[in-house]
Amino acid sequence: MVNVSRPTRETYYRVLADCLSEETLVVTALGNASYLWAKIRDAPENFYLEDAMGLALPLALGLAVAQPERKVVVVEGDGGLLMHMGALVTLGAIAPENLTVLLIQNGVHAASGGQPLTNASLDFANLGRVLGLKHAENIDSAESFRTTIVAALERRGPSLLALATEPDLTAAMPPFSLDPVGTKRRFTEAIGAPQYLPTFFGGGKLVAPKF
Amino acid sequence: MTTQKMESDPHRPSELLDALRGLGVQLAVSVPDSWLSEILIRIEQEPSMSLIRATHEEEALAVACGARLGGRRSVLMIQNVGLLTIGAGMVSLAQRYQFPLLILASYRGTLEDAIFYHIPKGRVTEPVLQGFGLRYAVANSERPIGEQVKQAATFAEESSNPFVLLLAQKDIQW
Repeated sequence: MVNVSRPTRETYYRVLADCLSEETLVVTALGNASYLWAKIRDAPENFYLEDAMGLALPLALGLAVAQPERKVVVVEGDGGLLMHMGALVTLGAIAPENLTVLLIQNGVHAASGGQPLTNASLDFANLGRVLGLKHAENIDSAESFRTTIVAALERRGPSLLALATEPDLTAAMPPFSLDPVGTKRRFTEAIGAPQYLPTFFGGGKLVAPKF
Repeated sequence: MTTQKMESDPHRPSELLDALRGLGVQLAVSVPDSWLSEILIRIEQEPSMSLIRATHEEEALAVACGARLGGRRSVLMIQNVGLLTIGAGMVSLAQRYQFPLLILASYRGTLEDAIFYHIPKGRVTEPVLQGFGLRYAVANSERPIGEQVKQAATFAEESSNPFVLLLAQKDIQW
């Protein structure tokens, strides 16, 4: 059943931008998940994926495990999740308390033109609970999203919020090129992640960054 | 004679685990293989390391990349079949974003492992790696395995790209 009053991705993103602290790490999936977020709230603590469909969630899971003191939010699409549904099983098993999954449930492959998903009306909250996620909810309004994301970021997770979303089929032009290596370098520097020191300089190991 | 043999032929999986410890690997991400079973349990018991058992090799690749993004040295431990299923993530994530990922893969379907259902995977493993433009090495049975693991990890780091070390049964099966 199509709910014509579903909020847009932009509506959810504006609420998210209001509610996030600067320290929160944000991983976004391909397409407008990344492009629109870069327009609305670019920050060094954002890691943008272009392509690599279905891998935003497992990448964020690894990041959350590596950075247990930081809140991590990942924006994944329902098409991407269907492609790697197993990642939700791994998330339930590992259960990092600092990870919140925002699932854009628009029922289509938006980034490739709006082709319908294999199943556009799954109850992802129920699925998440079955897989052992501590909190999982289906959301269909900006108001309920605001309340829920604030709570999710304050409590111990993991949380899955499936956001019923109107498809956005036109690519949002990002304000700059999402250069993959540049994005990665900016992100790792922003969070102070240890960096590899080459053997040529007597390293051969990861060392803490110098500030 | 027995003592001499033990000195000249150390337990290679122990040596491999020592090498991971020495490299400061904090996280192993794996989809198992029978050869990997025991060493994965040993890794789970390591105080300095943790293990994530993923459901698919491409997912495991992304978890390992995410851990590295967060500053933890990680290793991917899979069967060579995973090198066949991992393609999109290898190209569009690990290589495109230049993650220096160490991949240890059991090399099934070789002369020493002529099991009928592994042979097709063994036949295409190296051509597939070459197709990806991935650097890799087949572990040398005459050389200590720990040293080769360290070299593979260093090569991955210095080249800012994944590196695959293909392992024989005696290298990895505890």
